[in-house]
Amino acid sequence: MMALPESAVAAIAGVILLLSVIGVVTYVTLLERKFAARMQSRIGPYRVGWHGILQPIADALKLMMKEDIVPRDADRRVFNLAPIVFLIPCLLIFATIPFAPGLGVADLNIGILFFLAVSSMEIVGLFMAGWSSNNKYALISAMRAVNQIISYDLPFLFAALIPVLLAGSLRLSDIANAQSGSVFMWFIAYPVIGQLGFLAFVIASVAAENRVPFDILEAESELVAGFRVEYSGMKFALIQLGEYAHVLGTSFLGALLFLGAWSGPGPEWLGPVWFLLKALGVFLVITWIRWSFVRIRVDQILQISWKLLMPLTMLLVIATAITVVWRSAGV
Amino acid sequence: MTLEVFGFWALAVVLVGSALAVVLTKNLFHSVLWLALALTGTAGIFLMLDAEFLAGVQILLYAGGVVTVVVFAIVVTERLVGTKLSHTSRRAWLGGGVAAMFLAVMLSQLARVPLSPLKIPMESDPTRLIGSAVLTRFLLPFELLAVVLLVSLLAASYFARPEE
Repeated sequence: MMALPESAVAAIAGVILLLSVIGVVTYVTLLERKFAARMQSRIGPYRVGWHGILQPIADALKLMMKEDIVPRDADRRVFNLAPIVFLIPCLLIFATIPFAPGLGVADLNIGILFFLAVSSMEIVGLFMAGWSSNNKYALISAMRAVNQIISYDLPFLFAALIPVLLAGSLRLSDIANAQSGSVFMWFIAYPVIGQLGFLAFVIASVAAENRVPFDILEAESELVAGFRVEYSGMKFALIQLGEYAHVLGTSFLGALLFLGAWSGPGPEWLGPVWFLLKALGVFLVITWIRWSFVRIRVDQILQISWKLLMPLTMLLVIATAITVVWRSAGV
Repeated sequence: MTLEVFGFWALAVVLVGSALAVVLTKNLFHSVLWLALALTGTAGIFLMLDAEFLAGVQILLYAGGVVTVVVFAIVVTERLVGTKLSHTSRRAWLGGGVAAMFLAVMLSQLARVPLSPLKIPMESDPTRLIGSAVLTRFLLPFELLAVVLLVSLLAASYFARPEE
Protein backbone atom coordinates (compact mmCIF):
# COMPACT_ATOMS: atom_id res chain seq x y z
CA MET A 1 0.00 0.00 0.00
CA MET A 2 2.97 2.27 0.44
CA ALA A 3 3.88 1.74 -3.19
CA LEU A 4 1.42 4.25 -4.57
CA PRO A 5 2.43 7.43 -2.73
CA GLU A 6 6.07 6.55 -3.45
CA SER A 7 5.44 6.25 -7.17
CA ALA A 8 3.44 9.49 -7.09
CA VAL A 9 6.41 11.22 -5.47
CA ALA A 10 8.69 9.78 -8.14
CA ALA A 11 6.34 10.96 -10.88
CA ILE A 12 6.20 14.50 -9.47
CA ALA A 13 9.98 14.58 -9.09
CA GLY A 14 10.30 13.42 -12.68
CA VAL A 15 8.02 16.16 -13.98
CA ILE A 16 9.86 18.85 -12.01
CA LEU A 17 13.21 17.57 -13.26
CA LEU A 18 11.97 17.42 -16.85
CA LEU A 19 10.65 20.98 -16.78
CA SER A 20 13.79 22.37 -15.19
CA VAL A 21 15.99 20.49 -17.65
CA ILE A 22 14.03 21.93 -20.56
CA GLY A 23 14.23 25.40 -19.00
CA VAL A 24 17.97 25.20 -18.42
CA VAL A 25 18.55 23.76 -21.90
CA THR A 26 16.72 26.67 -23.57
CA TYR A 27 18.90 29.13 -21.71
CA VAL A 28 22.06 27.15 -22.37
CA THR A 29 21.54 27.94 -26.06
CA LEU A 30 21.62 31.65 -25.22
CA LEU A 31 24.76 31.10 -23.13
CA GLU A 32 26.44 29.40 -26.04
CA ARG A 33 25.45 32.12 -28.50
CA LYS A 34 26.69 34.87 -26.20
CA PHE A 35 29.92 32.99 -25.50
CA ALA A 36 30.55 32.31 -29.18
CA ALA A 37 29.80 35.94 -30.02
CA ARG A 38 32.30 37.19 -27.45
CA MET A 39 34.94 34.82 -28.80
CA GLN A 40 34.44 36.31 -32.25
CA SER A 41 34.28 39.95 -31.05
CA ARG A 42 30.56 40.15 -31.68
CA ILE A 43 27.76 41.06 -29.33
CA GLY A 44 25.34 38.23 -30.00
CA PRO A 45 21.58 38.33 -29.33
CA TYR A 46 20.84 41.75 -27.91
CA ARG A 47 17.49 43.06 -29.05
CA VAL A 48 14.94 40.77 -27.42
CA GLY A 49 14.84 41.84 -23.80
CA TRP A 50 17.74 43.05 -21.70
CA HIS A 51 20.95 41.80 -23.39
CA GLY A 52 18.85 39.34 -25.39
CA ILE A 53 17.57 37.60 -22.27
CA LEU A 54 14.26 36.71 -23.93
CA GLN A 55 15.85 35.40 -27.13
CA PRO A 56 15.33 31.64 -26.34
CA ILE A 57 11.62 32.27 -25.75
CA ALA A 58 11.32 34.18 -29.01
CA ASP A 59 13.13 31.33 -30.79
CA ALA A 60 10.80 28.73 -29.29
CA LEU A 61 7.72 30.74 -30.29
CA LYS A 62 9.05 31.19 -33.80
CA LEU A 63 9.72 27.47 -34.21
CA MET A 64 6.28 26.59 -32.91
CA MET A 65 4.60 28.79 -35.48
CA LYS A 66 6.58 27.51 -38.46
CA GLU A 67 4.95 25.29 -41.02
CA ASP A 68 5.40 21.60 -40.43
CA ILE A 69 6.63 20.02 -43.66
CA VAL A 70 6.83 16.31 -44.38
CA PRO A 71 8.52 15.41 -47.68
CA ARG A 72 6.24 13.56 -50.10
CA ASP A 73 8.43 10.48 -50.44
CA ALA A 74 9.45 10.32 -46.82
CA ASP A 75 8.58 7.34 -44.67
CA ARG A 76 5.88 9.31 -42.90
CA ARG A 77 5.45 7.33 -39.68
CA VAL A 78 9.16 6.87 -39.02
CA PHE A 79 9.79 10.49 -39.99
CA ASN A 80 7.28 11.74 -37.43
CA LEU A 81 8.43 9.37 -34.73
CA ALA A 82 12.17 10.04 -35.09
CA PRO A 83 12.41 13.36 -33.17
CA ILE A 84 10.63 11.80 -30.20
CA VAL A 85 12.80 8.67 -30.22
CA PHE A 86 15.79 10.99 -30.41
CA LEU A 87 14.61 13.21 -27.56
CA ILE A 88 13.62 10.57 -25.00
CA PRO A 89 17.10 9.13 -24.33
CA CYS A 90 18.53 12.65 -24.19
CA LEU A 91 16.13 13.58 -21.41
CA LEU A 92 16.26 10.19 -19.69
CA ILE A 93 19.97 10.53 -18.92
CA PHE A 94 19.10 13.15 -16.31
CA ALA A 95 17.00 10.64 -14.36
CA THR A 96 19.92 9.01 -12.61
CA ILE A 97 22.00 12.12 -11.87
CA PRO A 98 21.89 13.06 -8.17
CA PHE A 99 21.92 16.86 -7.89
CA ALA A 100 22.64 16.82 -4.16
CA PRO A 101 22.85 14.08 -1.54
CA GLY A 102 19.49 12.34 -1.86
CA LEU A 103 18.14 14.79 -4.44
CA GLY A 104 17.55 12.99 -7.72
CA VAL A 105 14.85 11.02 -9.46
CA ALA A 106 16.45 7.58 -9.29
CA ASP A 107 19.79 6.86 -7.70
CA LEU A 108 20.31 3.50 -9.38
CA ASN A 109 23.10 1.21 -8.27
CA ILE A 110 24.12 0.97 -11.92
CA GLY A 111 23.86 4.75 -12.37
CA ILE A 112 26.73 5.26 -14.77
CA LEU A 113 25.88 2.17 -16.79
CA PHE A 114 22.32 3.47 -17.15
CA PHE A 115 23.65 6.80 -18.38
CA LEU A 116 25.91 5.20 -20.97
CA ALA A 117 23.28 2.70 -22.12
CA VAL A 118 20.53 5.26 -22.51
CA SER A 119 22.71 7.77 -24.31
CA SER A 120 23.74 5.04 -26.76
CA MET A 121 20.05 4.69 -27.69
CA GLU A 122 20.11 8.15 -29.19
CA ILE A 123 21.62 6.81 -32.40
CA VAL A 124 18.42 4.89 -33.13
CA GLY A 125 16.41 8.12 -33.32
CA LEU A 126 19.12 9.82 -35.32
CA PHE A 127 19.16 6.99 -37.79
CA MET A 128 15.40 6.95 -38.11
CA ALA A 129 15.52 10.66 -38.98
CA GLY A 130 18.31 10.21 -41.50
CA TRP A 131 16.78 7.21 -43.22
CA SER A 132 13.13 8.21 -43.33
CA SER A 133 13.79 11.67 -44.79
CA ASN A 134 14.54 10.00 -48.12
CA ASN A 135 17.26 12.53 -48.72
CA LYS A 136 20.80 11.65 -49.68
CA TYR A 137 22.36 14.27 -47.43
CA ALA A 138 20.39 13.03 -44.45
CA LEU A 139 21.34 9.43 -45.20
CA ILE A 140 25.05 10.13 -45.59
CA SER A 141 24.92 12.09 -42.37
CA ALA A 142 23.29 9.18 -40.53
CA MET A 143 25.94 6.80 -41.85
CA ARG A 144 28.71 9.07 -40.69
CA ALA A 145 27.04 9.25 -37.31
CA VAL A 146 27.18 5.47 -36.95
CA ASN A 147 30.83 5.50 -37.95
CA GLN A 148 31.59 8.01 -35.29
CA ILE A 149 29.48 6.50 -32.55
CA ILE A 150 31.06 3.07 -32.99
CA SER A 151 34.50 4.67 -32.76
CA TYR A 152 33.89 6.92 -29.78
CA ASP A 153 31.61 4.83 -27.61
CA LEU A 154 34.48 2.77 -26.25
CA PRO A 155 36.89 5.59 -25.34
CA PHE A 156 33.99 7.38 -23.66
CA LEU A 157 33.15 4.24 -21.70
CA PHE A 158 36.75 3.67 -20.67
CA ALA A 159 37.21 7.29 -19.63
CA ALA A 160 34.07 7.08 -17.52
CA LEU A 161 35.36 3.84 -15.97
CA ILE A 162 38.33 5.59 -14.35
CA PRO A 163 36.27 7.40 -11.67
CA VAL A 164 34.20 4.23 -11.25
CA LEU A 165 37.34 2.28 -10.40
CA LEU A 166 38.63 5.00 -8.10
CA ALA A 167 35.35 5.21 -6.22
CA GLY A 168 34.67 1.47 -6.35
CA SER A 169 31.01 1.89 -7.28
CA LEU A 170 28.75 2.30 -10.28
CA ARG A 171 26.31 4.38 -8.26
CA LEU A 172 26.66 8.04 -9.15
CA SER A 173 26.06 9.32 -5.62
CA ASP A 174 28.85 7.04 -4.31
CA ILE A 175 31.21 8.44 -6.92
CA ALA A 176 30.27 11.96 -5.86
CA ASN A 177 30.65 11.16 -2.16
CA ALA A 178 34.10 9.68 -2.74
CA GLN A 179 35.24 13.12 -3.87
CA SER A 180 33.74 15.17 -1.04
CA GLY A 181 36.02 17.10 1.23
CA SER A 182 38.58 19.30 -0.43
CA VAL A 183 39.49 20.13 -4.00
CA PHE A 184 42.28 17.60 -3.78
CA MET A 185 39.75 14.83 -3.37
CA TRP A 186 38.26 15.52 -6.80
CA PHE A 187 39.24 12.84 -9.23
CA ILE A 188 40.66 15.41 -11.62
CA ALA A 189 43.28 16.12 -8.96
CA TYR A 190 44.37 12.49 -8.94
CA PRO A 191 47.99 12.50 -10.16
CA VAL A 192 48.32 11.97 -13.93
CA ILE A 193 45.36 9.57 -14.22
CA GLY A 194 42.80 12.22 -13.28
CA GLN A 195 43.95 14.90 -15.70
CA LEU A 196 44.47 12.57 -18.64
CA GLY A 197 41.19 10.84 -17.90
CA PHE A 198 39.32 14.15 -17.87
CA LEU A 199 40.97 15.17 -21.13
CA ALA A 200 39.98 11.88 -22.78
CA PHE A 201 36.47 12.24 -21.38
CA VAL A 202 36.05 15.72 -22.83
CA ILE A 203 37.37 14.71 -26.26
CA ALA A 204 35.21 11.58 -26.39
CA SER A 205 32.11 13.44 -25.28
CA VAL A 206 32.61 16.18 -27.86
CA ALA A 207 32.81 13.42 -30.46
CA ALA A 208 29.81 11.57 -29.04
CA GLU A 209 27.78 14.78 -29.24
CA ASN A 210 28.84 15.32 -32.85
CA ARG A 211 30.05 18.85 -32.24
CA VAL A 212 32.89 20.69 -33.96
CA PRO A 213 35.61 19.55 -34.62
CA PHE A 214 33.83 16.19 -34.92
CA ASP A 215 30.71 17.42 -36.67
CA ILE A 216 31.19 15.74 -40.05
CA LEU A 217 27.64 14.48 -39.90
CA GLU A 218 26.20 17.96 -40.12
CA ALA A 219 28.98 19.60 -42.06
CA GLU A 220 27.05 22.57 -43.44
CA SER A 221 29.24 23.04 -46.49
CA GLU A 222 28.70 19.49 -47.74
CA LEU A 223 25.59 18.06 -46.09
CA VAL A 224 23.44 21.16 -45.51
CA ALA A 225 22.14 20.31 -42.04
CA GLY A 226 22.83 16.59 -41.99
CA PHE A 227 20.22 14.17 -40.72
CA ARG A 228 17.79 16.95 -39.77
CA VAL A 229 17.81 18.65 -43.16
CA GLU A 230 14.14 17.85 -43.90
CA TYR A 231 12.82 18.78 -40.49
CA SER A 232 11.10 22.05 -39.79
CA GLY A 233 9.10 23.76 -37.09
CA MET A 234 8.46 21.91 -33.86
CA LYS A 235 10.13 18.67 -34.92
CA PHE A 236 13.33 20.56 -35.65
CA ALA A 237 13.00 22.19 -32.24
CA LEU A 238 12.68 18.76 -30.59
CA ILE A 239 15.87 17.54 -32.26
CA GLN A 240 17.74 20.67 -31.22
CA LEU A 241 16.40 20.33 -27.69
CA GLY A 242 17.59 16.72 -27.58
CA GLU A 243 21.06 17.63 -28.76
CA TYR A 244 21.49 20.39 -26.21
CA ALA A 245 20.04 18.21 -23.46
CA HIS A 246 22.60 15.55 -24.32
CA VAL A 247 25.45 18.06 -24.16
CA LEU A 248 24.19 19.38 -20.85
CA GLY A 249 23.70 15.86 -19.45
CA THR A 250 27.24 14.92 -20.42
CA SER A 251 28.48 18.13 -18.81
CA PHE A 252 26.74 17.13 -15.59
CA LEU A 253 28.29 13.68 -15.83
CA GLY A 254 31.74 15.17 -16.36
CA ALA A 255 31.30 17.49 -13.37
CA LEU A 256 30.14 14.55 -11.30
CA LEU A 257 32.85 12.11 -12.36
CA PHE A 258 35.86 14.39 -12.24
CA LEU A 259 34.98 17.68 -10.53
CA GLY A 260 33.47 16.49 -7.28
CA ALA A 261 29.79 17.10 -8.10
CA TRP A 262 28.17 19.12 -5.30
CA SER A 263 31.22 19.54 -3.07
CA GLY A 264 32.22 23.15 -2.54
CA PRO A 265 32.50 25.83 0.12
CA GLY A 266 29.50 27.25 1.89
CA PRO A 267 26.46 25.62 3.47
CA GLU A 268 25.10 22.31 2.28
CA TRP A 269 22.15 23.79 0.38
CA LEU A 270 24.62 25.46 -1.98
CA GLY A 271 25.58 21.99 -3.26
CA PRO A 272 23.23 21.92 -6.28
CA VAL A 273 24.36 25.44 -7.20
CA TRP A 274 27.98 24.36 -7.18
CA PHE A 275 27.08 21.32 -9.23
CA LEU A 276 25.24 23.44 -11.80
CA LEU A 277 28.15 25.89 -11.99
CA LYS A 278 30.64 23.07 -12.52
CA ALA A 279 28.45 21.49 -15.19
CA LEU A 280 28.15 24.83 -16.95
CA GLY A 281 31.94 25.09 -16.71
CA VAL A 282 32.32 21.77 -18.51
CA PHE A 283 29.72 22.94 -21.01
CA LEU A 284 31.73 26.10 -21.67
CA VAL A 285 34.89 24.06 -22.21
CA ILE A 286 33.03 22.02 -24.82
CA THR A 287 31.71 25.24 -26.40
CA TRP A 288 35.17 26.76 -26.32
CA ILE A 289 36.50 23.74 -28.23
CA ARG A 290 33.64 24.07 -30.68
CA TRP A 291 34.40 27.66 -31.56
CA SER A 292 38.19 27.24 -31.63
CA PHE A 293 38.84 24.37 -33.98
CA VAL A 294 38.06 23.61 -37.59
CA ARG A 295 36.25 20.51 -38.71
CA ILE A 296 38.53 17.52 -39.25
CA ARG A 297 38.22 14.81 -41.89
CA VAL A 298 36.60 11.42 -41.45
CA ASP A 299 39.87 9.50 -41.56
CA GLN A 300 41.42 11.88 -39.03
CA ILE A 301 38.46 11.38 -36.72
CA LEU A 302 38.81 7.61 -36.93
CA GLN A 303 42.56 7.78 -36.41
CA ILE A 304 42.25 9.95 -33.33
CA SER A 305 39.80 7.46 -31.91
CA TRP A 306 41.49 4.14 -32.66
CA LYS A 307 45.14 5.12 -32.59
CA LEU A 308 45.20 7.70 -29.83
CA LEU A 309 42.15 7.76 -27.61
CA MET A 310 41.54 4.01 -27.43
CA PRO A 311 45.06 2.98 -26.35
CA LEU A 312 45.30 5.97 -24.02
CA THR A 313 42.05 5.26 -22.19
CA MET A 314 42.79 1.52 -22.01
CA LEU A 315 46.20 2.22 -20.49
CA LEU A 316 44.60 4.66 -18.07
CA VAL A 317 42.05 2.07 -16.96
CA ILE A 318 44.80 -0.49 -16.40
CA ALA A 319 46.91 2.06 -14.52
CA THR A 320 43.91 2.99 -12.39
CA ALA A 321 43.20 -0.64 -11.59
CA ILE A 322 46.83 -1.20 -10.57
CA THR A 323 46.77 1.93 -8.41
CA VAL A 324 43.57 0.91 -6.70
CA VAL A 325 44.85 -2.60 -5.93
CA TRP A 326 48.22 -1.28 -4.80
CA ARG A 327 46.59 1.33 -2.58
CA SER A 328 44.25 -1.13 -0.94
CA ALA A 329 47.08 -3.63 -0.42
CA GLY A 330 49.36 -0.94 1.01
CA VAL A 331 46.86 0.23 3.61
CA MET B 1 -3.59 -5.48 -9.05
CA THR B 2 -0.39 -3.89 -7.98
CA LEU B 3 1.77 -1.61 -10.05
CA GLU B 4 4.19 -4.46 -10.59
CA VAL B 5 1.62 -6.76 -12.15
CA PHE B 6 0.37 -3.95 -14.33
CA GLY B 7 3.94 -3.19 -15.40
CA PHE B 8 4.57 -6.81 -16.23
CA TRP B 9 1.51 -7.10 -18.46
CA ALA B 10 2.23 -3.82 -20.18
CA LEU B 11 5.77 -4.99 -20.89
CA ALA B 12 4.50 -8.38 -22.02
CA VAL B 13 2.13 -6.81 -24.53
CA VAL B 14 4.87 -4.54 -25.86
CA LEU B 15 7.35 -7.39 -26.07
CA VAL B 16 5.12 -9.90 -27.81
CA GLY B 17 3.65 -7.26 -30.09
CA SER B 18 6.99 -5.90 -31.20
CA ALA B 19 8.48 -9.37 -31.57
CA LEU B 20 5.58 -10.32 -33.87
CA ALA B 21 6.01 -7.08 -35.77
CA VAL B 22 9.68 -7.92 -36.35
CA VAL B 23 8.73 -10.99 -38.36
CA LEU B 24 5.48 -9.78 -39.88
CA THR B 25 6.42 -6.38 -41.31
CA LYS B 26 7.57 -6.44 -44.90
CA ASN B 27 9.88 -3.45 -44.66
CA LEU B 28 13.28 -4.57 -43.40
CA PHE B 29 14.10 -1.21 -41.86
CA HIS B 30 10.84 -1.18 -39.92
CA SER B 31 11.49 -4.63 -38.55
CA VAL B 32 14.87 -3.53 -37.26
CA LEU B 33 13.15 -0.67 -35.45
CA TRP B 34 10.66 -3.12 -33.96
CA LEU B 35 13.62 -5.28 -32.93
CA ALA B 36 15.07 -2.31 -31.07
CA LEU B 37 11.78 -1.95 -29.21
CA ALA B 38 11.68 -5.67 -28.41
CA LEU B 39 15.23 -5.62 -27.04
CA THR B 40 14.45 -2.57 -24.92
CA GLY B 41 11.37 -4.38 -23.62
CA THR B 42 13.57 -7.31 -22.61
CA ALA B 43 15.68 -4.87 -20.62
CA GLY B 44 12.47 -3.81 -18.90
CA ILE B 45 11.81 -7.43 -17.91
CA PHE B 46 15.32 -7.67 -16.45
CA LEU B 47 14.63 -4.48 -14.54
CA MET B 48 11.49 -5.96 -13.04
CA LEU B 49 13.50 -8.95 -11.85
CA ASP B 50 15.90 -6.64 -9.96
CA ALA B 51 18.69 -7.41 -12.40
CA GLU B 52 19.60 -3.79 -13.11
CA PHE B 53 23.05 -4.61 -14.35
CA LEU B 54 21.72 -7.03 -16.95
CA ALA B 55 19.16 -4.46 -18.06
CA GLY B 56 21.85 -1.84 -18.52
CA VAL B 57 24.09 -4.20 -20.46
CA GLN B 58 21.14 -5.34 -22.56
CA ILE B 59 20.44 -1.79 -23.69
CA LEU B 60 24.08 -0.84 -24.09
CA LEU B 61 24.99 -3.86 -26.19
CA TYR B 62 21.84 -4.94 -27.98
CA ALA B 63 19.45 -2.07 -28.32
CA GLY B 64 22.24 0.39 -28.96
CA GLY B 65 25.02 -1.56 -30.58
CA VAL B 66 23.53 -4.45 -32.47
CA VAL B 67 20.65 -2.45 -33.90
CA THR B 68 23.13 0.16 -35.03
CA VAL B 69 25.16 -2.38 -36.94
CA VAL B 70 22.10 -4.06 -38.47
CA VAL B 71 20.64 -0.74 -39.57
CA PHE B 72 23.97 0.22 -41.04
CA ALA B 73 24.08 -2.95 -43.11
CA ILE B 74 20.54 -2.45 -44.41
CA VAL B 75 20.99 1.15 -45.40
CA VAL B 76 24.21 0.43 -47.20
CA THR B 77 22.61 -2.32 -49.24
CA GLU B 78 19.25 -0.74 -49.92
CA ARG B 79 19.49 2.99 -50.39
CA LEU B 80 23.03 3.24 -51.68
CA VAL B 81 23.28 0.17 -53.86
CA GLY B 82 19.71 0.41 -55.02
CA THR B 83 18.45 -3.12 -54.53
CA LYS B 84 15.30 -3.25 -52.49
CA LEU B 85 15.30 -5.77 -49.68
CA SER B 86 12.06 -7.03 -48.30
CA HIS B 87 11.04 -9.79 -46.00
CA THR B 88 9.51 -12.93 -47.32
CA SER B 89 7.63 -15.35 -45.13
CA ARG B 90 7.84 -18.32 -47.43
CA ARG B 91 8.52 -20.98 -44.84
CA ALA B 92 6.39 -19.40 -42.17
CA TRP B 93 4.72 -22.71 -41.32
CA LEU B 94 8.04 -24.45 -40.69
CA GLY B 95 9.20 -21.57 -38.52
CA GLY B 96 5.92 -21.61 -36.67
CA GLY B 97 6.33 -25.33 -36.05
CA VAL B 98 9.80 -24.85 -34.60
CA ALA B 99 8.50 -22.03 -32.42
CA ALA B 100 5.59 -24.17 -31.22
CA MET B 101 7.95 -27.02 -30.35
CA PHE B 102 10.18 -24.62 -28.47
CA LEU B 103 7.19 -23.33 -26.55
CA ALA B 104 6.13 -26.88 -25.71
CA VAL B 105 9.58 -27.70 -24.34
CA MET B 106 9.64 -24.54 -22.26
CA LEU B 107 6.14 -25.10 -20.90
CA SER B 108 6.82 -28.74 -20.02
CA GLN B 109 9.91 -27.70 -18.11
CA LEU B 110 8.14 -24.85 -16.37
CA ALA B 111 5.24 -27.09 -15.40
CA ARG B 112 7.55 -29.31 -13.37
CA VAL B 113 8.63 -26.53 -11.04
CA PRO B 114 6.06 -25.01 -8.74
CA LEU B 115 6.01 -21.33 -9.58
CA SER B 116 5.32 -18.93 -6.80
CA PRO B 117 3.82 -15.55 -7.61
CA LEU B 118 5.95 -14.02 -4.87
CA LYS B 119 9.23 -12.49 -5.89
CA ILE B 120 12.08 -13.84 -3.83
CA PRO B 121 14.18 -10.97 -2.51
CA MET B 122 17.78 -10.85 -3.67
CA GLU B 123 20.26 -12.01 -1.07
CA SER B 124 22.88 -9.53 -2.16
CA ASP B 125 23.64 -7.08 -4.92
CA PRO B 126 23.48 -9.04 -8.20
CA THR B 127 25.86 -6.57 -9.84
CA ARG B 128 28.51 -7.41 -7.26
CA LEU B 129 27.81 -11.13 -7.67
CA ILE B 130 28.22 -10.98 -11.44
CA GLY B 131 31.42 -9.02 -11.11
CA SER B 132 33.08 -11.37 -8.68
CA ALA B 133 31.86 -14.48 -10.50
CA VAL B 134 33.27 -13.30 -13.82
CA LEU B 135 36.63 -12.45 -12.30
CA THR B 136 37.05 -15.55 -10.13
CA ARG B 137 35.14 -18.71 -11.00
CA PHE B 138 34.47 -17.93 -14.65
CA LEU B 139 37.73 -16.14 -15.38
CA LEU B 140 38.93 -18.67 -17.94
CA PRO B 141 35.72 -18.70 -20.07
CA PHE B 142 35.65 -14.93 -19.83
CA GLU B 143 39.19 -14.63 -21.16
CA LEU B 144 38.48 -17.25 -23.83
CA LEU B 145 35.55 -15.14 -25.03
CA ALA B 146 37.89 -12.20 -25.36
CA VAL B 147 40.26 -14.33 -27.45
CA VAL B 148 37.40 -15.46 -29.69
CA LEU B 149 36.38 -11.86 -30.25
CA LEU B 150 39.97 -10.90 -31.01
CA VAL B 151 40.26 -13.70 -33.57
CA SER B 152 37.06 -12.62 -35.29
CA LEU B 153 38.26 -9.02 -35.35
CA LEU B 154 41.52 -10.09 -36.96
CA ALA B 155 39.64 -12.22 -39.48
CA ALA B 156 37.34 -9.32 -40.33
CA SER B 157 40.24 -6.98 -40.94
CA TYR B 158 41.91 -9.69 -43.06
CA PHE B 159 38.85 -9.94 -45.30
CA ALA B 160 38.44 -6.18 -45.47
CA ARG B 161 42.03 -5.53 -46.53
CA PRO B 162 42.56 -3.63 -49.77
CA GLU B 163 43.16 -5.76 -52.86
CA GLU B 164 46.69 -5.85 -54.10
